[in-house]
Amino acid sequence: MNDKLHISRLFALSSDNRKYSFSVPLKNKIRIGKRDYTVQLKSDDKYGTYILWKNRRYPLEVVRSRQNKYEILFNDISYIFTVETPFSLQRMKVINTRKGKPGLASVKAPMPGKLLDVLVREGAPILRGEPLVILEAMKMQNEIQSPVNGTILKIHARPNTNVMKDDVLVEIKAD
Amino acid sequence: MKIRKILIANRGEIAVRIMKTAKKMKILTVAVRTAAEPDAMYLSFADEIYDNTDDNSEIPVFLDIEKIIAIALKTGADALHPGYGFLAENAYFAQKCLDNKIIFIGPSPDAIYKMGNKTIARKLAIQNGIPLAMGSEGNIGDEEEALTVAEKIGYPVIIKAASGGGGRGMRIVRDPSEMIKMFPIARREAEKAFKDPSVFIEKYIENPKHIEFQILGDKKGNIIHLGERECSIQRKHQKLLEEAPSCALDNALRKKMGNMAVRIARAVKYYSAGTVEFLLDSDKNFYFMEMNTRIQVEHPVTELVTGIDLIEKQIRIAGGESLNLKQEDIRIKGWAIECRINAEDVQSGFAPSPGRIEKMSMPDYPCVRVDTGVREGSVIVANYDSMIAKLIISGKDRKEAITRCKMALDKVWIKGAKTTLPFFRLLVRNQNFQNGNFTTAFIEKDLDQYYYNSEYEEMLAAWLATKLFIEENLQSNSINVDFSDGKEMSPWLLNKRINQF
Repeated sequence: MNDKLHISRLFALSSDNRKYSFSVPLKNKIRIGKRDYTVQLKSDDKYGTYILWKNRRYPLEVVRSRQNKYEILFNDISYIFTVETPFSLQRMKVINTRKGKPGLASVKAPMPGKLLDVLVREGAPILRGEPLVILEAMKMQNEIQSPVNGTILKIHARPNTNVMKDDVLVEIKAD
Repeated sequence: MKIRKILIANRGEIAVRIMKTAKKMKILTVAVRTAAEPDAMYLSFADEIYDNTDDNSEIPVFLDIEKIIAIALKTGADALHPGYGFLAENAYFAQKCLDNKIIFIGPSPDAIYKMGNKTIARKLAIQNGIPLAMGSEGNIGDEEEALTVAEKIGYPVIIKAASGGGGRGMRIVRDPSEMIKMFPIARREAEKAFKDPSVFIEKYIENPKHIEFQILGDKKGNIIHLGERECSIQRKHQKLLEEAPSCALDNALRKKMGNMAVRIARAVKYYSAGTVEFLLDSDKNFYFMEMNTRIQVEHPVTELVTGIDLIEKQIRIAGGESLNLKQEDIRIKGWAIECRINAEDVQSGFAPSPGRIEKMSMPDYPCVRVDTGVREGSVIVANYDSMIAKLIISGKDRKEAITRCKMALDKVWIKGAKTTLPFFRLLVRNQNFQNGNFTTAFIEKDLDQYYYNSEYEEMLAAWLATKLFIEENLQSNSINVDFSDGKEMSPWLLNKRINQF
């Protein structure tokens, strides 16, 4: 990268838009209030890779990374961050104000499983909370409900087929 | 008859659990190796392994009645323990064992059949004066009948599959239009899941507690109960955390419900270990739900507060021994809590999260018992359930048990799959849970988030992401690995990268 010499600060943006700012070069000390606490990235045979912070070990895994996007499993919880330079952060702000497609709701499979039943027809009106499909995952039958009032635009779900997590099941035009 | 050799017709933690007790009793065990998990931990606890890895049948061997019987006969096992799930509550299977002179470690086929059929079980309860939620007298044939019955009982009602159990084949219906929509679906689901489309209708008790009683009986007609378990912390009828005893019961109610539980067990001449499930409403009215004719996942909490090894009792009773316990011998001492650590993603609605367990270590304290069938290197396969381990904590009272639970949860170390740990970390910190103020609707209604993370955890993860970014993009001496196609980073690679620092 050409501009690497100029970067003195990086921002990690969480998926719900919390911003963490770090100076570059990155220190292994984080200031909380008036005190600095040491962060240590460690690895051994018993625990694998972990972070040591305030005398406690936290398990971590880098689940995947793609360009500047990182999915990190930290103490059994997933976090997704994009790491931005001051310039890219500015660019992102501009793009974000143009995004968004109102009035269309895509209902996705919350988990992988088997579709037992599709309870709606295309073109039919639907109310928020009404069941759309029945999805069986592990031993459980899950009723997937409409998140909005509207009209069924398109049904991608077919009974007795398997779906992956995040597959679009039904598209709804919201009122 | 003295049992000498037991075939374990199960896998995972319950197979390990049974074999531990068998070993203590100097009884030999046979376990079945399957192609789905040929290196499973439970195999190392068996005296003998039957290799079934060349079986390429689609149904798991543990569900294959003919095959399991054949294995028992071939290996010379004189008894069989079914564990829970699979064939544990299959009356035909229990009868088949008896026909082949194999002792079935469980109740009689007759008791399994009667309690397994919800319509018969309901009739038995009515005949014996056990309180029931109002409901249809038998199975419901069509929508019209369903509407009439529901009108009589009053909405909301619940449609249940006559052959169902464990939350399967249940639908809550709140008004007639929903009934017209849901009734045919419920029948179809029941047909698909249990090969029996019969359904019945019951009054739906809103926000009850789930309280169940542990029963022990012998073949001579002695039946006692070992107190209750509190199992209200559940999601979609799947239990997540269980306790013994329950803070919702006082001694008088415990005695009353316990007597009812024994009475219904007596109605089917019950022997072995079994569980009578009740719903308890906010006015402390209780209603019989069903009887489970097997050892339950949550049996350890009862063991910890009574000091009785339930598997040992099951084996002795199956061998014809007397119970040697009277109701007044049972003393409930202290408190026990069980957390089911499953490979599930609490951030995606408890979706299954199968994977290979890379690292695993469990807290080693006298107050912590861990029942598991998983160790480092084990793979949580999609074929079976998602359980990794049961963390069972005891204390002198509920408060101490919860405090210890909180501590133990922070010491559990599992890498390789997402688990329900963050959910329990949240639960033990929840005020309503701590005060015993919760019902079966707790998770859906009282929680707006299903996991706990301490204040700084996200910040530390952000620090790590930034560190990785710097290494990949801003440092000239970093290893050039192309992540742009989004492929996963292997642990050894990550290690290598970290060690460079």
